[in-house]
Amino acid sequence: MAFSDLLAKDIVVPAAGTPLQPGVGAIKPRAKSVIFLFMEGGPSQMDLYDPKPLLNKLAGQRLPESFGSVITAMGESKSPLLASKREWKQYGQSGQWFSDWIPHIASCSDDLAVIRSCKADGINHSAGVCQMNTGSILAGKPSLGSWINYGIGSENRNLPAFIVMQDNQSSVINGPRNWGAGFMPAGYQGVRLTGGSEPIPNLNTPEAVSADLQKSKLQLIHGVNKDFAARYPDRSELGARLASYEMAARMQAEAPGVVDLTGETEATRTLYGLDDKTTEGMGRLCLLSRRMVEQGVRFVQIYHGAGSKWDAHSKIESNHAGLCASMDKPVAGLLKDLKARGLLEDTLVVWGGEFGRTPMSEKGDGRDHNPTGFTMWMAGGGVQGGQTIGSTDDLGLRAVDTPLHVHDLHATILWLLGIDNMGLTYRYKGRPERPTQNEGEPYKKIVG
Amino acid sequence: MPPRLSIPLVLALAGFAAGTASVQAADNAQAEQAVALLEARCFKCHSHSAGKNKGGLVMDSLAGLTTGGDGGAALLPGDPSKSLFLQNILSVDPDVMMPPKGERLTKDEVALLTAWVQAGAAWPQSRTRAPAADRYLPGTIGAKEKSWWAYQPVKRPDLPAGQARNPIDRFIDARLTQEGLTASGEADRAVLIRRVTFDATGLPPTPEAVAAFVGDRDPLAYEKLVDRLLASPAYGQRMARAWLDLVRYADSDGYRIDDFRPTAWRYRDYVIKAYNENKPYDRFVQEQLAGDELFPGDPDALTALGYLRHWIYEYNNRDVRGQWENILNDITDTTGDVFLGAGMQCARCHDHKFDPLLQRDYYALRSFFNNTLPVEDRIAWTDPAAAEHARRLASWERKTQAIRDEIAALEKTYRETATQKAIEIFPDDVQAMILKPAAQRTPYEQQIAALAWRQVDYEYGRLDRSIKGADSVKHADLKRQLAEHDQLKPAEPPFVLSVRETGAQGLDAVIPKKNTVVPPAFLTVLSAQYPAEPAKITPPADGTSTGRRAALARWLTDQSNPFTARLAMNRLWQLSFRRGLTPYASDLGRLGEPPSHPELLDWLAAEFMSKGWDQKALHRLILTSAAYRRSSSHPAPQAGQLKDPQNAWLWRFQPQRLEAEQIRDALFAAGGDLQADKQNGPSVVYSEPTRSIFTRIMRNNRDPLADVFDAPQWFNSASSRDVTTTPIQSLLLLNSPFMLKRGEALAARLTKEAPGDDAAQVRRLYQVLFARLPTAPEAAQAAKFLQEVRAQKPTAAVSAALANDFQPEKVPFRDGQGAHLESSHRKPFLASGATEVDLARGFTIEAVIVPRTVSDTGSVRVIAAQVGKGKADGYWQFGVTGQKSRRAPRVLVLQAFGPLLGDDFGEAVHFSGLRIEMNKPYYVAAAVRYADKNGPGEVTFSLKDLANDDEPLLHDRVTTRLTGVRTAPQTIQLGGKGTDAESSFHGVLDDLRFSAGPLNDQALLYANEDRRPDTLGFWRFENKSGTLSDSSGKGRDLAVGAVKAAPDAKGGATPLAALCHALLNSSEFLYVE
Repeated sequence: MAFSDLLAKDIVVPAAGTPLQPGVGAIKPRAKSVIFLFMEGGPSQMDLYDPKPLLNKLAGQRLPESFGSVITAMGESKSPLLASKREWKQYGQSGQWFSDWIPHIASCSDDLAVIRSCKADGINHSAGVCQMNTGSILAGKPSLGSWINYGIGSENRNLPAFIVMQDNQSSVINGPRNWGAGFMPAGYQGVRLTGGSEPIPNLNTPEAVSADLQKSKLQLIHGVNKDFAARYPDRSELGARLASYEMAARMQAEAPGVVDLTGETEATRTLYGLDDKTTEGMGRLCLLSRRMVEQGVRFVQIYHGAGSKWDAHSKIESNHAGLCASMDKPVAGLLKDLKARGLLEDTLVVWGGEFGRTPMSEKGDGRDHNPTGFTMWMAGGGVQGGQTIGSTDDLGLRAVDTPLHVHDLHATILWLLGIDNMGLTYRYKGRPERPTQNEGEPYKKIVG
Repeated sequence: MPPRLSIPLVLALAGFAAGTASVQAADNAQAEQAVALLEARCFKCHSHSAGKNKGGLVMDSLAGLTTGGDGGAALLPGDPSKSLFLQNILSVDPDVMMPPKGERLTKDEVALLTAWVQAGAAWPQSRTRAPAADRYLPGTIGAKEKSWWAYQPVKRPDLPAGQARNPIDRFIDARLTQEGLTASGEADRAVLIRRVTFDATGLPPTPEAVAAFVGDRDPLAYEKLVDRLLASPAYGQRMARAWLDLVRYADSDGYRIDDFRPTAWRYRDYVIKAYNENKPYDRFVQEQLAGDELFPGDPDALTALGYLRHWIYEYNNRDVRGQWENILNDITDTTGDVFLGAGMQCARCHDHKFDPLLQRDYYALRSFFNNTLPVEDRIAWTDPAAAEHARRLASWERKTQAIRDEIAALEKTYRETATQKAIEIFPDDVQAMILKPAAQRTPYEQQIAALAWRQVDYEYGRLDRSIKGADSVKHADLKRQLAEHDQLKPAEPPFVLSVRETGAQGLDAVIPKKNTVVPPAFLTVLSAQYPAEPAKITPPADGTSTGRRAALARWLTDQSNPFTARLAMNRLWQLSFRRGLTPYASDLGRLGEPPSHPELLDWLAAEFMSKGWDQKALHRLILTSAAYRRSSSHPAPQAGQLKDPQNAWLWRFQPQRLEAEQIRDALFAAGGDLQADKQNGPSVVYSEPTRSIFTRIMRNNRDPLADVFDAPQWFNSASSRDVTTTPIQSLLLLNSPFMLKRGEALAARLTKEAPGDDAAQVRRLYQVLFARLPTAPEAAQAAKFLQEVRAQKPTAAVSAALANDFQPEKVPFRDGQGAHLESSHRKPFLASGATEVDLARGFTIEAVIVPRTVSDTGSVRVIAAQVGKGKADGYWQFGVTGQKSRRAPRVLVLQAFGPLLGDDFGEAVHFSGLRIEMNKPYYVAAAVRYADKNGPGEVTFSLKDLANDDEPLLHDRVTTRLTGVRTAPQTIQLGGKGTDAESSFHGVLDDLRFSAGPLNDQALLYANEDRRPDTLGFWRFENKSGTLSDSSGKGRDLAVGAVKAAPDAKGGATPLAALCHALLNSSEFLYVE
């Protein structure tokens, strides 16, 4: 039995070129891979991308009644407005605005489509992070990366199609279910790549097992499984079990190479900020994500500030200054490196958190959660850079012009990958399920 | 070509929609133009062809328009002013106007539509077609929809003619004959006993049971075997798993804080018991939906109400109304799946697109639950037990009145502050509900206030940590005084997760946006009216409840209900054949598939009800059928493979992979270490070798094995399990410490049961794993493997630890593995001391721990220690105090014996106020700054709950008189002290770091894992870098007890263990044939 025959049906890490799923094929794919830079905890839009002069003017006062009322996580709807202390400048040909916290990202202005009018439904982290990953504030739905994995498979059979990394050891809110496959088979879930010598759980041959012993075991396992599969030749899943050990072995061979950065030049390392303690951690993840995309990994997600570190309920100045400093240069480095290597054309880079922050203050010097209007950006993968999409009201509280709900954002990402968000269905309990829960429309103008 | 709409539906639609206007001639040009315009401008968001119904509205049929969307009817034939869609087209309000984007409609276009509506809104004949044949056109329920098989009452069909004794086989055989297929013969007895034992009990058969069955000459040997299995307590443990999947049972909240639900297990035990006692299924259904209303005073029935409590819950959510809405919807969705076999959730926002389920039906179903109030204080017990408890409790209360009063007085201001802080962050309307006197709250306000109050309660649970300074000391002291009376206190009564109702008044569900109030009613498709008439409900006499759930339960368990028996039988069938007679076990509608054997399903359902809903009787019938007993191998499979590759006609049995829990249980069973005596009771962590059904299901922290082998998420009702094959699975089976351990356990068992003989051990191995003996080639293959491995050089890194008390185990929310230590171990990890660096500036000890227990006495369980050679050296130890600690139970403590301020040499004990809970992952630390001539020093304790991101890194600072320690050169001991079992740490230890000097916050491991020059040792227990190696680069590798970390031929991976481990990877082990 040819190895490739075995793969076709039952291994649920579908290779590119497997039969198309519904909703795939009709739309021209512009992007091949996605790198989702997830700023966990909710970065402040009015301190990074969305300047609000009125906010500084009204600082200290209550939200004017004309802005309506909102439910906020910590009950700060009536707290005084908090001025932004940032300096703002326009960058690039496009003249987009960026604050002084993110000069490096700002230098990529002409590659970025900055969406100032993002909207979500969850007012707390759990619901927000869940929705930004799965489309729903309630758990149980597959993650966007799982849908993409299901829809168009992987270009590399020796690595997981959907890889997740985080910048520190804290648990991301909700834990691994953020990259879970929900109601889909477990094979579509994201695989978390960890630091250290064993990037994928159980990747390494255990300490107590010599190479010879491992080889003997694998031979025996192959022998007995082949005999068993031969008893039921029409049960292809048994063949798939044989193949899964071969894939595991190849993963074992290939994964360490992908995470080994020794071959990168000094210039590249500097570009990502690997030479500076502040930026080294995120720089490593960004560089890794480029290497994965090069290897055909479909969806890479990096959690920056894992464990809600962006959640600046108080002391937003020191909190965001530190987080921006650790993220700004590596992220810009990633964009520049992708561009220089010609990878940006078909790699979609997405930056954002589960929500933004309120113009109202919390504890005097922080900001509460704000899902009603916040900023994300996309670059590469066919996206027309240098455009600012949508707007919030004069205080940055609510998206007003071209509001793009999480479902629209997901639909847009899918569309850029050539996937119709209403066409792609997975049958669960007999019922057709869709990645954006039957909502959402791609914002097609993002390609210009 | 699109399929044509059937005649009856066209008529029904026309009659419903237009009254006298009726369907005009197809050549009505105005209608053609009007609908063409709608198509051009509206269908993009409001049609079946676009697959969109924004705002719940479809505009591609008159019925769709007249039914309308969230805003109510969109079109009233003959009345443009009451036709909302026209009004919206005319509107200039950007939130309302249609279309929302693009050009406005021209005046002429508006005039056309107005005239068309005015004239009766005739729908052109050419467009009256269903968008797809299998789709349901919202707004009508015609004869065709009503005739769907699943809505017909169960009728007992005649048995087909045939020879088979088992009625099931008559149906199966008749179909096979019809299809021209012949079935395979009966499976070998060995295969059969392995199959049926897994199916009925979830466990493998023992070699002895296999031998007895294979050798049993009785022609009814198989029937006897089935009877024995159905009578075994393991039966209920197996059956409960499938039910718990359906009702999305879990032991945790499943939200940001995945809080443990300490009493949830009582529901799990209830389900196991119900299956084992063969509780009639109708009663089983009634108890879960309405145990309180139907069987008041029956503890089982109260426990069963846990069914209404398995929804996820977020404590950190100020949108209380929204959360309560989600909870009620979740109960409705689950009930639709479990008890109606209907995709009710599809009808939450709009009428179901494929089945005749109205949005109104959804809210009518929700209204049965809409009046409930989740409660934790229901106690499932009998009156005498309650009376005895009350008597003892009263006695304890009398004895402790003074202390409790004092505690209450001390806590008063803290409690008031906590209450106020918790309440003031809610929106104003919710605050008002909370602050209202309880008696004045409406039923809805009761529900919202109660849900919000959980967040206040949560703060009360954390009151301890807000109490500071002298109060803190006094508080701890009072608590300890109170604890001295614990022996008088009666054991905690059996609290269950349950519900009450807000009263007898009843609270109907409201369709959002439409604001339609919908009283409880059964499905419209089953009713003669459209929509269905409200259900007839008799409230219980005591006035505590509406009787709504009782009415639903009675309706479901009436013999005329078309769903209940069919669903139950189909699920039973699915358990045995892995595929139901209808393949989607929770959807009998059009999205499911029609049954492969509709008559058999009905026969089973009828038989089930006529036998008094006797599950075991029907299960026995299925398991003893020839269809179930068939071999998986067919002598001439070509015809079947060609005609019926899915095996829907059951011409053979299909090999099936075990479910995740069966794999885990079988692994422990094979090693002989399955604790089969655990038959009930509180849930344990998944590393405990009990049956999987008794392990905690923490929704956000899953057992890695269950995760890769397709266990469901337990967020929503799951009606079946996927079977996937991935390299991640293979890596886990091949390389995980857990699996290596299982191989070793199995090898140890074989060595015991067949000592000293390779061939006998291999025979036993095959019997244990595969219920058969090896063939000659297999025996030779195994012998060759053993020989080959014996000739290999063992790896130099074989850990002595693996042969000792140490088990690798993953710490939740941390990467990699830690070291699990049993409570009985007497061998701490040992590292060489710190001769080259003195501890002159103080020291810091840090660790990640998951404590399983603390000492029952006052003893401290040691995380790390150094003990001097003699008394003059003194000692220090860092650990957790015992249950009866004289100062405070279960807190971090640092004890030392050394030089003290003022030239004394003596004891310095530092109790922190940082309390540890069992089975939770924590980062803990103690940083010691010595006292000196400037004054006392300080011990800074740190504690971080790793399972809860909301918890900050907590500190407690305690002054110390310690001016130094003299233990630097001594061995560093981790997880215990000497051979003292009392001080042995029980639980998981990971990432222990010992540093010179007191580290500040930024330098702590929790904040920063960078390498530091002041690190004296860093032990991470990672298998790659060396389980026992010191990753600090200081070379302080660990030894275990007196044993050196060196190759150990006796322990760890012996050739036999390697063979066992390899065969635990085999398909034959993971499958039943």
